[in-house]
Amino acid sequence: MHEYSLAQALLSGLQDYLRQHPIPGRVAKVHVRKGELLSLSEWALKEAWRILTEGTELSGSELVLESVPVRVRCPSCGYEGEARYLTEEGWHIAVPVLSCPRCGSPVEITEGRDLAIVGLTMTDPPAP
Amino acid sequence: MHDITGSFGDVLQRQLELASQNFALLKQHGVRAVNVMGAIGSGKTELILRMAEKLRERGLRVGAIAGDVAGDDDYQRFRAAGLPALQINTGDQCHLDAHQVGHALEEFPLGEVDVLFIENVGNLVCPADFPLGADVDLVVISVTEGDDMVRKHPKMFAQTDVVAINKVDLAAFVGVDPERIAADYRKVNPHGRVVFTAAKSGRGVEELLSALGF
Repeated sequence: MHEYSLAQALLSGLQDYLRQHPIPGRVAKVHVRKGELLSLSEWALKEAWRILTEGTELSGSELVLESVPVRVRCPSCGYEGEARYLTEEGWHIAVPVLSCPRCGSPVEITEGRDLAIVGLTMTDPPAP
Repeated sequence: MHDITGSFGDVLQRQLELASQNFALLKQHGVRAVNVMGAIGSGKTELILRMAEKLRERGLRVGAIAGDVAGDDDYQRFRAAGLPALQINTGDQCHLDAHQVGHALEEFPLGEVDVLFIENVGNLVCPADFPLGADVDLVVISVTEGDDMVRKHPKMFAQTDVVAINKVDLAAFVGVDPERIAADYRKVNPHGRVVFTAAKSGRGVEELLSALGF
């Protein structure tokens, strides 16, 4: 439900970056990493991006989302890696369980809360 | 076409930083904070009032921040119970965030309380994505919402330390088995604590306080 405010935050951040570091050409694609702990609809994020970029230098650019699996660190046994996911019939989504897949202790989240722009695909500027 | 890779800013990293700042400010004043989440009408405000009564009997000073899209009904209830309180109106935002809470903490008389309840906007989806900097997260579900609340919002519960299943005195009337809700929660969160409560009668309030570390 907060896709618009987060899309706006991504857009403002990128616009600030581009003002300070101008890049020749037009932005065709914006690559975003989205952590799997977040409750964000991909469809709604893309739609928010389309609407919010209208009339800006990013108008027409496509938001490309990469899903980032949840990774955890276990303070008890030292496990570091992907979290266990629970898939139950009828739930329709895989739920990351914040418990060590190796020893069952509580874990710290190391990845999976990200919402970050990590790359841009630029159209090549016309030859001079 | 060509690709440029790099770091263009993580919009949620900023939220985590602000949450850490809030946590540090609360600790500076020796305040223990609880982020209270849950659907509209689950009984968050009533449970906070009941917990506040018990904590005050123990000699602790309690305050509350009420987060709502609009209105100040919860704030008025906190004030009427004699709690130092503050209202945050999110203006259509579906959750509190660390930035709003940070501003509220600047205004709040933190020196006058030992415990602070932060009542989030009634919503079972969005608040999970926005840590506030509290010591512990509590989600309140009422049996009148049905026994499928965890299955409908599993990510929220996977990240929540303590769940209060409230209005258990009404379970038989609405044909809901509170144990089923608890079993679903334990699946997504093997380390979480479940407490059955009936805020109006005070049932389970002491156990809830103990689960929250009081």
